[in-house]
Amino acid sequence: MKRFTFFGGKGGTGKTSCAASCSLSLAEQGVRTLVVSTDPAHSLADTFDRPIGYEPVLLRPNLWGLEIDAEVEAKKYTDSIMKKMLHLVSATIVDEIKRQIELAYLSPGAEEAAIFDKFIELMESAGKDYDAIVFDTAPTGHTLRLLTLPRVLGVWIDHLIEKRQKARKLMEVAARYDRALAEQIAQDPVIEVLTARRDKFSLAGKILTDTENTVFHFVLNPEKLAVLETGRAVDLLKKYGIPVGGMIVNKIIPAGAGTFLEKKRLSQEKYLREIRERFAEGPVIELPMLEEDVQGMDQLRIISEKMGALCS
Amino acid sequence: MNRLLKKLKKGWELIALFHQGAFLDRRMAVVRKEAFDINDNLMLLLFGDFIGIPNPMSYYMLELLPLVADELAPWERRIQNRRFILAEKGAQYDFDT
Repeated sequence: MKRFTFFGGKGGTGKTSCAASCSLSLAEQGVRTLVVSTDPAHSLADTFDRPIGYEPVLLRPNLWGLEIDAEVEAKKYTDSIMKKMLHLVSATIVDEIKRQIELAYLSPGAEEAAIFDKFIELMESAGKDYDAIVFDTAPTGHTLRLLTLPRVLGVWIDHLIEKRQKARKLMEVAARYDRALAEQIAQDPVIEVLTARRDKFSLAGKILTDTENTVFHFVLNPEKLAVLETGRAVDLLKKYGIPVGGMIVNKIIPAGAGTFLEKKRLSQEKYLREIRERFAEGPVIELPMLEEDVQGMDQLRIISEKMGALCS
Repeated sequence: MNRLLKKLKKGWELIALFHQGAFLDRRMAVVRKEAFDINDNLMLLLFGDFIGIPNPMSYYMLELLPLVADELAPWERRIQNRRFILAEKGAQYDFDT
């Protein structure tokens, strides 16, 4: 069993169903499992057929569900900043800055950042409250950005710390004959905050690239676009050192489905062969197209049996 | 003996003070200016989005706000009134002495 299992892939391929059945199978093996949706357009609740919110909800024995709500997380974050502000800053400035903080949520990247923060928090909590966390991620582009954030932002923040330290060093030189100034710059909370942030990023990076505990499975359909996109995503994950697990090929049309679908089935077979060749490094699991939507525990159980080794 | 020691000490303090005023202060002012400049640039990287320069992590920079809130208004004033960069830079080197 891996501690962190991610399911990713193109939109509509069946990520949520796979993540749900995987978490169900883990829970039934007695593993305390949390299934988390990081997709802003959540569908976990629909799959389990019961409401799930931004706090963990007990779905079955040993199985909890959670849908990350970027807005709620951002609110929590800004509230904590406001609270800190009231201790440190005079009232007139607070008003001015309140506006800036409220605007900040609208800035590009804020939603992603809020989701990412929650994401780190959850990963840190693994091992305490839960033995395993299954992530149902957003369609490829969004998720890749999320997973590669620690590396990118880590570099950026390193640069900021360096600059601040340089300024401090010069100040120290200037303050050699000025005791008041020396005392003022002796401790620098800005560097402390930046360093804490950097540590958080590097922790996330460490967890994501840990082959022992983390695995990223792709869910795809036997279609041209899905194969191409998955290929690119696999390359990118490898570049960033995130371990890639299996390929789950979903919605394969079974033989004898009728003349209308026969042609489609033949083209799918071609892509299936391509998938088997191209992603031969990990297991390739093939799931048939079902007559009905996947909903409820019984159907999830059928899928999880087929996924077998990926979720045990 | 004791009185002599006291007088010597006092004299030395005066010499040190004169030395600081005559030679060091000017030099230190240059260093201090440089430090403030670097800090201003850093603020630009941290809170550039306040004056319209997009920042990839403005969301994460919010947590620094309480710490630098007091510096923010003067910084904005300084950065927006920077009309003569050359003159500003030139002032760092004492061309007039």
